[in-house]
Amino acid sequence: MRVMVMALLTVLLSACSNPRQEVTVQLANQLLLPAHEQWHGSNGALRVSAEGFCADELDQAAVEQAFYRTLQSWSYLQPLMLGPLAEGNRSWQVQFWPDKRNLVAHQVEALLDSHSPLTREALEGASVVVQGLTAFEYVLFDKAVDLAGQRPRYCPLLIGIARHQQALSAEVLALWEGPEGMASRLGDFPNDRYASADEALGSILRTQITAVDVLKKKLGVPMGRLNKGVVQPWQAEAWRSRHSIGNLQSSLSGARAVWERVRSLVGDAGLVTRIDAAYENTGQKLAGLPAPLVEMVQDKASLPRLQALYESLDNLETLQQVELARDLGIQIGFNANDGD
Amino acid sequence: MTLTRRHLLGMGAALGGVAALGGWAFWQGKGQSPLLLSARNDDAGKHYCTGYFLDGKRAFATPVAERCHDVARHPFLPLALFVGRRPARESYLIDLRDGGLLQIVRGQPQRHFYGHAVFHGAGEWLYATENDLNEPGRGVLGRYRLDQGNLQLVHEGEVPTHGVGPHQLAWMPDGESLVVANGGIRTEGSREKTNLNSMSPSLVVMDRHGELHSKETLQHSQSSIRHLAVASDGTIITGQQYQGEAWETVPLLAVKRPEQPYQPFPVGASQLAMMDQYTASIAIHGERRQVAMTAPRGNRFFVWDLDTAETLVDVPMEDCAGVGVAGDGFAVTSGQGRCRYFSYQDGQVASHWLDLPGGWWDNHLRLG
Repeated sequence: MRVMVMALLTVLLSACSNPRQEVTVQLANQLLLPAHEQWHGSNGALRVSAEGFCADELDQAAVEQAFYRTLQSWSYLQPLMLGPLAEGNRSWQVQFWPDKRNLVAHQVEALLDSHSPLTREALEGASVVVQGLTAFEYVLFDKAVDLAGQRPRYCPLLIGIARHQQALSAEVLALWEGPEGMASRLGDFPNDRYASADEALGSILRTQITAVDVLKKKLGVPMGRLNKGVVQPWQAEAWRSRHSIGNLQSSLSGARAVWERVRSLVGDAGLVTRIDAAYENTGQKLAGLPAPLVEMVQDKASLPRLQALYESLDNLETLQQVELARDLGIQIGFNANDGD
Repeated sequence: MTLTRRHLLGMGAALGGVAALGGWAFWQGKGQSPLLLSARNDDAGKHYCTGYFLDGKRAFATPVAERCHDVARHPFLPLALFVGRRPARESYLIDLRDGGLLQIVRGQPQRHFYGHAVFHGAGEWLYATENDLNEPGRGVLGRYRLDQGNLQLVHEGEVPTHGVGPHQLAWMPDGESLVVANGGIRTEGSREKTNLNSMSPSLVVMDRHGELHSKETLQHSQSSIRHLAVASDGTIITGQQYQGEAWETVPLLAVKRPEQPYQPFPVGASQLAMMDQYTASIAIHGERRQVAMTAPRGNRFFVWDLDTAETLVDVPMEDCAGVGVAGDGFAVTSGQGRCRYFSYQDGQVASHWLDLPGGWWDNHLRLG
């Protein structure tokens, strides 16, 4: 016991003498790990709500509320998704986006046509397309689905997805916790993943900066920015539940939470002010959007507001990717982004 | 003074002498510190041809105009060609004693390099995979003769690689036949891929004069065959990069054993999922019959038993890049973090951080 206490003290003292290590430890214990725990908790609530609904103990609105909370915690987690959840194709199991060819609808119906009732084994052996929140959303919100009239068909899928999500988050959480877990890899250096706190901090920042780039994509794809300007409303994330903007807000909050803990390390006070302003500006623009994204992209009068939001995100990304990375001496990417 | 083969032969011994001075902390008593050759960038985005001893001592870092990819070391002279990365029009012949730039090897009209080349064992010829821009994607093997008087590479013709978008190539054990990874991707002088829905990757074995010995394919046409290594018994291991849907998990390693068809190397689905659809560099440890592979997008480094496919090493490593055999194990560089050394023996994985500069290493290295 005495040896363990001494070892812990050594780690803490070492962290205190190195601001970057201190920030990295704080990020791991006060932000990244709790966000994973919160996501796991929301998956548990989603399972309870789905089981309650299918047992006629809860109404559909209760499942929808649980679904929104899960989407929120998942979106918040994405800029913090370092390590296990980003590895092994796991994140595709949570959400299937972008769905360019409406695979979710086709594959859900095909799966349910071929397995009646759906078994746990059939779902676990199926594609990631039908295992995640996008398929859950399809069942819950798509107008083509008569959930009230066809509970025996759809309920096994709702329960199966919720259980799959809970098992997945439990697996990921286990990989974060414990003496060999991801959290410990962000506290004690060198270890089998990182040579130093600098490397770990760089990895956290790369994850967060990449997530801001993904936010641009989540906005830009339905706006048609990658489609010669032709809008693609049905390629918005969470368009069926009309929760696209809520997702963007949650992810921005997660990214900002990283920034709030990193800002003390930045030497250029002017840069701190500019990044603070960029988060504030982007957050305000998001909060001010009057309608769901799937509707706004189809309304030409709304496009300037969306364009302004996109530019705000672009500015935030540039500030972090170029100026913040330079200030902190963090390398953003090389072979992993542009190999051959 | 004009450099000649005689000068370089004399100085090659000196290079060995310098190498012998080096020594990794954990390497003492095991021999001299090898020279690692690799393309590298700096924080400002400038490109270099570099040589470092594994103990961290820099031999040279020569700035060049184009980003390079792999390195072809001459079999006995202290010189190497740092090969321009797709779609480079230049490669660089470097004097390994001091990093001096002996020649900027310019691509032929309507040709560009793909980042890989090899010297023939007799030292007179170099072969480089290239793109025929008159018929974009058509792979050719550019042939260059080393003018040993002036130490300049002179282009002397080409032969087809019998496939589209060739990438890495290596000698078969006979030293006369080449195995070529035709990636199957068509590009037209840029990095944009123009045929992802009609790719035609293939593994070709041909003689160095162009005659086709065999051409084989894999099940997934969107698995671009990119990198490879050959064991002393002729076993070929290839690494693929999947260009299909982002959520799919398909085989990313394949093997062609002597007298057997080209087929997937038996890697488990969970390991495949960790590779994030992308493999980079492959090395085979001939004595230990081990194959190592980097997966920079999945931030993962692997070693398997070449004969049984048993997993020996499976560890996280950020943006792991080049891998090469050194002593009992493998040296691994990184595009983003510290370089490492791994070895596996008697059920134990040993890992050490190398005193090399961290980050900005390109996807291939050569050791020797």
